Amino acid sequence: MFFHIVLERNMQLHPRHFGRNLRDNLVSKLMKDVEGTCSGKHGFVVAITGIENVGKGLIRDGTGFVTFPVKYQCVVFRPFKGEILEAVVTMVNKMGFFAEAGPVQIFVSNHLIPDDMEFQSGDMPNYTTSDGSIKIQKDSEVRLKIIGTRVDATEIFCIGTIKDDFLGVINDPTA
Amino acid sequence: MEKNGKGFSMPKSSLKSTPSKDDSSQKSKEGRKVQFNNGGSPEERFDYSKSNGKSSSSADKGGRGNTANVKASKSKEKEPLELRLNQELLKNAKCLMDCEAAEIIQGIQDQMTLLSQDATIKLPVSFHKGLQYSQANARYTNTHSVRRVLDTLKKHGVVEGEISVIANACPESTEEVFALVPSLKSKKSILQEPLEVALMVIKPLRKVDSTSV
Repeated sequence: MFFHIVLERNMQLHPRHFGRNLRDNLVSKLMKDVEGTCSGKHGFVVAITGIENVGKGLIRDGTGFVTFPVKYQCVVFRPFKGEILEAVVTMVNKMGFFAEAGPVQIFVSNHLIPDDMEFQSGDMPNYTTSDGSIKIQKDSEVRLKIIGTRVDATEIFCIGTIKDDFLGVINDPTA
Repeated sequence: MEKNGKGFSMPKSSLKSTPSKDDSSQKSKEGRKVQFNNGGSPEERFDYSKSNGKSSSSADKGGRGNTANVKASKSKEKEPLELRLNQELLKNAKCLMDCEAAEIIQGIQDQMTLLSQDATIKLPVSFHKGLQYSQANARYTNTHSVRRVLDTLKKHGVVEGEISVIANACPESTEEVFALVPSLKSKKSILQEPLEVALMVIKPLRKVDSTSV
């Protein structure tokens, strides 16, 4: 889910950026460095909403670079175990399907798909119920529950299930 | 005091006891093994590579998925707490509903189009994906009203993370809420009525979806 959080970062600035546009240069460097990144603790930084405080710069010994501690507010997206999400299916194979919710990839194993749904291969691989009433294929919207998260240095990858109550297909693109 | 006419008394120390009894109690203590379930184990040990469509490697993952299913059912008691426990990790964070996030991110995009003098500032992919996702899931016409209504549940012990899940899921009934957020089941008797009222109030605030059947 989305969070609005205050984070802090030490920004290094080259002296060529000093002058009356120092703050603007600092902010644009912050945005270039931080937006779009992902950390294990905070998740994906989707957007910076504001700068709370820029501390005093300290000149680093040996180089002319100056380090500024910057506190900024941002919107982050971090999935949690037990969270209910609505995701769009991106790929289906016999092992399960991949879905995307915002910047996060989620994999749902065929063991966590209801038993009455079977894999159908073909041009458009899908999982279908025996009576053909419910189908999961690319671009289907599904409601799933996150049951596990794996945190990388730059990415969060999730495992989900649709085997519980009130989970499964919301919207079939072919309907 | 002299007792028993013997002229001495055996000091009774709580520390001293017959050696044989000591050994047996120690042995019984050594014999006891206390096992703690490692809550985070199955998911942390997964080794899924990035969007891998190869069947050979994903076959192994299918097997691991099976064990995860068994372990997930065993650790179900811990799963409902995850939303609560993880709130501590983001202590200073405000939990946003998808509709609130959509408003904020859209506002930033509007600002960027107005103020983008620096051509090198390009909005990253995760920004667009986040915007698209939040707009798709922003299901209410009036975000502030929904927030106000659902915040009344806080006095019954519902945490922010759970409120966000309820708002994002747009549940039709309290049964759905308790199924999707198992951590609220323990307070079912207290929450049943206020939750029903809250759902009734926010239902008319939902956007009419033309694609729904």
